[in-house]
Amino acid sequence: MKKLLALILSVMLVVSACGACASAEEEKVLNVFTWALYFDYDTLLAPFTEETGIKVNYDYFDSNEEMLMKLEAVDAGTYDVVLASDYILDIARKEGLLLELDKEKLPNWQNLNPAFLGQFYDPDDAYCMPYVAGTPLIIYDPEYVDFPITGYESLWDERLEDSVVMMDDARNVIGITLKTMGESFNTTDPEILAKAEEKLMQLKKNIRALDYNAPYATMISGEAIVGYMFNQQVLYTLQERPELEIVYPEEGLGFGIDCCVIPKNAPHPDNAHTFLNFLMRPENGAAIAEAQLMLSCNQAAEPYLSEEFTQNPVLNVPSELLESAEFIQDVGDAQTLYMDIWTRFKQY
Amino acid sequence: MKKDRRKWLCAPLYIWVTLFVALPLVYVAGVSLCKRDAVWGVTPEFTLENYRALFNPSYLRVFADSFRTSAVAAVISLLVGYPFAYAMAKSSPARRAALMVLVIVPFWTSALIRTYGWMLFLRANGPVNSLLKSLGLIRRPLKLLYTPGAVYLGYVYTMMPFAILPCFTALESMDWHAVEAARDLGARPARAFFTVTLPLTMGGVMSAVTLTLVPSMGIFFISDLLGGGKTVLIGNLIQNQILTARNTPMGAALSMAMLALTALILWIQRRTGGETRIL
Amino acid sequence: MRRQKRKAAGRAAYMALVLTFLYLPLMMVVLFSFNPSKNAGVMTGFTLEWYKQLFSDAEIAATLRNSLRLAALSIGTAAVIGTLGAVALARRKMRLQGLMEGVASLPVMVPEIVLGMAFLAAFSFVRLRLGLATMYLAHTTFCIPYIFLLVKSRLAAMDPQLEEAARDLGARPARVFFTVTLPVVLPAVAAGMLMAFAMSLDDVIISYFVTGPGAQTLPLKVYSSLKVGVTPEINALCTVTLGVVLLAILIAQRIRGVKSS
Repeated sequence: MKKLLALILSVMLVVSACGACASAEEEKVLNVFTWALYFDYDTLLAPFTEETGIKVNYDYFDSNEEMLMKLEAVDAGTYDVVLASDYILDIARKEGLLLELDKEKLPNWQNLNPAFLGQFYDPDDAYCMPYVAGTPLIIYDPEYVDFPITGYESLWDERLEDSVVMMDDARNVIGITLKTMGESFNTTDPEILAKAEEKLMQLKKNIRALDYNAPYATMISGEAIVGYMFNQQVLYTLQERPELEIVYPEEGLGFGIDCCVIPKNAPHPDNAHTFLNFLMRPENGAAIAEAQLMLSCNQAAEPYLSEEFTQNPVLNVPSELLESAEFIQDVGDAQTLYMDIWTRFKQY
Repeated sequence: MKKDRRKWLCAPLYIWVTLFVALPLVYVAGVSLCKRDAVWGVTPEFTLENYRALFNPSYLRVFADSFRTSAVAAVISLLVGYPFAYAMAKSSPARRAALMVLVIVPFWTSALIRTYGWMLFLRANGPVNSLLKSLGLIRRPLKLLYTPGAVYLGYVYTMMPFAILPCFTALESMDWHAVEAARDLGARPARAFFTVTLPLTMGGVMSAVTLTLVPSMGIFFISDLLGGGKTVLIGNLIQNQILTARNTPMGAALSMAMLALTALILWIQRRTGGETRIL
Repeated sequence: MRRQKRKAAGRAAYMALVLTFLYLPLMMVVLFSFNPSKNAGVMTGFTLEWYKQLFSDAEIAATLRNSLRLAALSIGTAAVIGTLGAVALARRKMRLQGLMEGVASLPVMVPEIVLGMAFLAAFSFVRLRLGLATMYLAHTTFCIPYIFLLVKSRLAAMDPQLEEAARDLGARPARVFFTVTLPVVLPAVAAGMLMAFAMSLDDVIISYFVTGPGAQTLPLKVYSSLKVGVTPEINALCTVTLGVVLLAILIAQRIRGVKSS
């Protein structure tokens, strides 16, 4: 028994030691961590490797929350560049998991659109490089909807019974309920939230499906006739069903920015800076926006964008609307309130 | 003496299981007794609050819903799977091996892709609705997807091999002479089945129940994808607590409650399955 | 005699029905792997484009290689540990046996996210580097119960006198094991391994927690790319997998057929 135990332990040691020896030498390697396909291989990663000789290891996560959990577990090491959403990077920054960017090594920083800088998650622009931005929009099928849809409030209309698809996300759906009441996406007041819950329950009978990742499929198949989803998903839908129409909700838009950061104990910080600077080149900024079908955060990239892209109403939200758009931010302890409302809503 | 030596064969299993299952779970149990930290994670401060919160009516309903869904799915899987296993056991040995592989191969592809296949099949413009429409039986497409029926379908589908295989291994190694003897003594086929075959394979049926009922309570993507995400099951709830609500201790407490439920099912299985040992 | 035949035909029809049910969603996937449109709900034509992309995609090839290597390693280990354990415990009452059996089958029962969280905590506690090694430990752990439970249920139904007879005839324990016990349990071991292979090849949640740089598996990539849609390349990959396996079954059947005639 003892011998066996010793054997197993030593095997484990050898295995883990090997893991360590592989990474001990300083190499031309970059470990990036984000959703699959978020860094396009053909237009970004392959040219980067060709130019610099730095090999890119692409690691995937499914959700922002998983990313944060992982980053904490590896003590902000292991990964060199992480690309994730604003609110989660805000938490990571507050926890001290991020490395301050060395602007000396990022001459292309000036290409960025100042409209996307200085946001709540990084007021001094010390940690986050904006990558792409997006706004969720309403999309509907005019063939089946015979009344004007103007905003979130329209989704409560009884003529839409069992025909709305939305993202399966507590903060977004409770958020638009709050908007219809004239409140902020980020309220933490339990009384307002209780009222929002009451109103939210009346929405349930209109819900055909809640789907975070692929609500566009539900719209394309005609399963649902109205949808509220992220703008790139709206674009997927329009590719197949160009006859559908979009609405900028009158109560005010939601807004989100996905950013690149360098974790505090990144093994290859120099390579990471080289990569970020590469991403901010104008032509690459344009390639990123076009590949992801999201708003570009790179001002210098604008001349490089195709006309098809710049003329698209989904991607060209009028700027006065964008100014009044609101971020969904971390709400601290109120998060549990939101989750409880969400659980009750789904069971209702 | 000989027997004693053989029992050491279980040493690797015991060691592995202690190191990689028991110890990590003890850690989870510890976390369930801690407080949620303001920013993230866990504060090492003792509290029973998480367990008190379990009796919150909406959580109790989640448990009841999950158990009902899993139990119905497990029963249907068994009712479909046992006859299949029986037919498999009656086939020639060469064919048995092929059938076994055929049953499992669909599960070598991604669960997500399989579920996606069902979505394509059931959706408003899918083959079922198109067929009914072209036959003139319906005018507007039937709502097949995002219904409780679609969720049960998904569960039964996913659990099918776990119902078939244990029944099959039991049926295959069963002593068929006993059935013949019963038939020779004049028992009708149905009677022979219920008095001989079924009791003899009860061990397999019980492992099938264990392998279908319990894991299916932890599944969540089926109700999300085929049910339209309109219900919360235990799997969703734990996932939400740990990831979205960032309330790891609550997630851990829910997991412990689920473990207790599992232990109860296993205990009942042991009590009822005890008879098979007579063999 | 005719009745026997009719019964056999009935059984075959039933099996065909259930197998159709099992393969129905996959047939849809196969069909859509030839669909030119990426997100369409209906077939819009016929194309081999996705297959071309699949075979030139280095990333898919690398993740698939990782997946297969990992599955082979962990199932091999799990098969040895699980089978030995089942043989040792099948007809014996030991101290703590009930508890240990319960714990051994826990990985099947516990929601994956709990296990994943527990693994991550434990591995970072002993400062094990996340990567293929931690993936191997985790996958082996959740593969063991499938093999253990199936082999045990097989042994429970086996005639104990077989082993006793062999022993009475003077066979040594090792010999009894290899000539009597092992052949009896082999189908169950195979079934368990097939099942474990399916689980290992499809695991996302546990893998997510314990994986590290250079240890990305195919399902991790598939799930993560959901945000931008199920790519038809993955449909094409499923079709290829299915084709290869069905071909293998056909060949195996042929070889057997030749042997027996």
